[in-house]
Amino acid sequence: MARADTLARARTLDRPELAYLVRFPTADGMRDMELTWAELARDTDWVTARLREHGLAAGQRALLTTSGFEGFWGHAVIGALRKLKVTYGIAEAMGWDHRRTSVFHRELDPHAVIGLSAETLEGLAGAADLGDMFRSTSLVLARPAAVPILRGVGVSASLISAVGPALALECPERCGAHVNGAEWRVCEREDGQLYVAAGEGRASLLPETPLGIAGRVATGRCACGSEDPRVLLGDADSPYSARS
Amino acid sequence: MGGDRDTGDRYFEPQVETMPRDQLRARQEERVVELVEYAYGNSAFYRELWDEHGVHPRDIRSLQDFRARIPFITKGMVRAHRARTGDPFGGLLCVPVEGLTSVSSSSGTTGDPEFFAEIWEDAPPLVTAQVRDLWELGLRPGDRVLSPPGTFRNLMDPGYQALGAVVIEVDTWLGKMNEVVEALRTYRPAYLQMMYPQMVELEHLAEKTDLKEAFSSLKGASCAGQPLSRKMRERIRDDWGIDVYEYTSAADTGTAWECREHDGFHLWEDTVFAECVEVDEQGGWRDVPETDLGELVATDLDNRAAPLIRYRSEDLVRLSGDRCGCGRTHARMWVAGRRGDETLVQGRSVVLRDIWLAVEDQPETASGVFQIVRDRREVDELRLRVGYDPGLTADVDALAGRLGEAVRERTGVKPVLDMRTEEDLLKTMTSVAKFPRVVKS
Repeated sequence: MARADTLARARTLDRPELAYLVRFPTADGMRDMELTWAELARDTDWVTARLREHGLAAGQRALLTTSGFEGFWGHAVIGALRKLKVTYGIAEAMGWDHRRTSVFHRELDPHAVIGLSAETLEGLAGAADLGDMFRSTSLVLARPAAVPILRGVGVSASLISAVGPALALECPERCGAHVNGAEWRVCEREDGQLYVAAGEGRASLLPETPLGIAGRVATGRCACGSEDPRVLLGDADSPYSARS
Repeated sequence: MGGDRDTGDRYFEPQVETMPRDQLRARQEERVVELVEYAYGNSAFYRELWDEHGVHPRDIRSLQDFRARIPFITKGMVRAHRARTGDPFGGLLCVPVEGLTSVSSSSGTTGDPEFFAEIWEDAPPLVTAQVRDLWELGLRPGDRVLSPPGTFRNLMDPGYQALGAVVIEVDTWLGKMNEVVEALRTYRPAYLQMMYPQMVELEHLAEKTDLKEAFSSLKGASCAGQPLSRKMRERIRDDWGIDVYEYTSAADTGTAWECREHDGFHLWEDTVFAECVEVDEQGGWRDVPETDLGELVATDLDNRAAPLIRYRSEDLVRLSGDRCGCGRTHARMWVAGRRGDETLVQGRSVVLRDIWLAVEDQPETASGVFQIVRDRREVDELRLRVGYDPGLTADVDALAGRLGEAVRERTGVKPVLDMRTEEDLLKTMTSVAKFPRVVKS
C-alpha cells in the first residue's frame, strides 16, 4: 500500500527527540517549552487512563473538536482514543464550524464529545436545544466557558482545559480537573492565580510560572482514587477564554 | 539537520516517484482489479450500483475492462444513497465503523459535509500522501513547521512529524498574522501552511512590516483551498520572497501538489487512478486529448475504508502523463475551474477568471476577495459581492462604478455589486480550507 510504504520509509529517517514546541500564555506573555516524543507518550498514557475512567472503550465513537495549534494536547487525546480503539470524528473548535459538529453528532452518535467550546455551543444554540442534543451523550468534556452553559441546561459536562503547557481533565467525580502530578506541579498563590512548573522528568525546564488564570488547586486523594492535583478554575474570562 | 534542497536527495521514494509509466500502469491495473472485488464484497453502494449495471468483479480483469464496464459515480449519487438508507457514509464503507481510526469530512460549504472514513497508523491518510510533496519542498528532519490553522481533514502534525519536523504551536487562523510574523522571527520555521484569507491579512501587514525578512527562513509555504491569482502569486514570490507551492484536491482521494518546477499539480498515481474525460448528457463519455480540458475522474487505489471508484470530481482539468522537469513520472494536472462555476447571464457565459482579473485590477480590491451570488447557474443578472480594503477606499460608490465597468469590459455583463469590507466578507467563511466563490445567498 502506497501510504504504508511512505511511512515505512519515513521511519528510517534520523528524527529528533522533539515533537513540539509548545507556546502558551502566561501572566507575563507567551512563553514556550519543548515537548519530546517520550513526554508525549507519557501524556498519552495518562489521558488514556483518564478516558478509560470515564468509561470509554473499544467500539465506541467520539467527536473531538480542536484547533490546529492545539496538537500538544490534541495529539495525546487522539493517541488515547486510538489506544482505546475508539473511532473519532474531528471538527474545528471555532464557532463557525458548529455545523460540522452538529452533523458529526447527529450521524456518528458519539459516546463522547471532547473539547466543546462556548463558541461552538453558541453556534449550535441557534438551531438546536443544547440540552436535548447533549444530555444523551455519555461523556461531554468541555472547555472552561462551555461547562457552565452545558451544566445550565442539564448536561453533566466535565472540564477539559489546557493549563499552560499541561492538560487538565476532570474525572467522573467532577470536583476539579486533574493535572498529571507525575509530570507537572500546579499550585495557587496568594494572588489567586494558578502557577505551573515542569516536573523533574520533563526535558524542558519550566520554573514556577504564573498563568494569569484565576483558580484554586485541590490536593489530596480524589474520590476517583487519583492522587493527581485538581484545578478548579475561577474565571472563565482567563487567557483561555478564546475558543474556550 | 536541515536538508539541502539542491543535493541529490530530491525524491523521498525515488523508485516510486520516477517509476516508468508502464510499470506504474501495471501497478494500477493490479490494484484496480483487487479493488473492484473488494468493494463489491464489502460496500453496499457499489454492490447495488454495479448489480444495476450488470457488472460483476469477474468481468474486470484489466484497466480496459474497468473503464469499459464500471460506471461513474457522483457526489449526488452518494448523497442519495445516504438520504435513502440513513447510512452516513453513503454505503461506501467497506469495514465496520468500529474498524475505522477516524472520520474527517469535507468542508460542508455547499450542503451537509461528506464523511471521509480513515484507517491509519502513524499519520492520517491525507497528510501522509503529502509527505513526498513536503520532502520536495525541502522539509527535512529537524526542521520546524508552524501548526496549520485547522484540523479540517484531521490533525496534520503527525504527517510533518513523520518527516522529523518539529511542530511549533501557533494560532495561524484569521486575525493572528501579527503573532505569526512574530513567531516566524522567533522560531525560524522552514515551512508554513497558508490559506487565502491569511494572505489577504498579510497583505495589509506588508505596509508596515518587512515580510521578506520575516519569511526568510522558509524553504517553502503551501497554499490550498483555491487557486492563487496571478497578482497574489507574484506578490508572495517577489515581494515576500516565499517559494509558494499550491496544492489542490485530487478529487477527494488525496491532494495534488506543485513540485519545484511549479508547472502543474502532481497526482500520486500509486494512490489514485486518474482519468480525464468528457461526459455527455446521455452518460456517454470519451477520453479527452492531453491538450484539452476534461473532467477529472478518480479512483482511490490506497483506501481500504471507503474508496471512491470512478468518481466524477466536477473539476475541469488538463491532464498530462509527460515526464515533469523534476524527473517524476506521475501525471500532472492543470485546473481550469469547476463544472458548474460558469454562470450564464441571459445566455452569456461568465467565468470566474474574468471577474477575478477585473477585481484584482482595482487597487482597493486587489486582494481578489469576491463571490458570485446566485441560486442557479442560469440567471438574469450577475450579482457580485466584493470585498474592499477600507484603508484604500475613500469613496465606495466611485469604486463600485469603476469596478462595475471593469467587470463589464471583461465579461460583457454589467454586474450588480454588493460592496463589503474584506474583513466582513472573509468573516463569512465556514471552513479553514475554502473561501467559496459561488454562493447561494
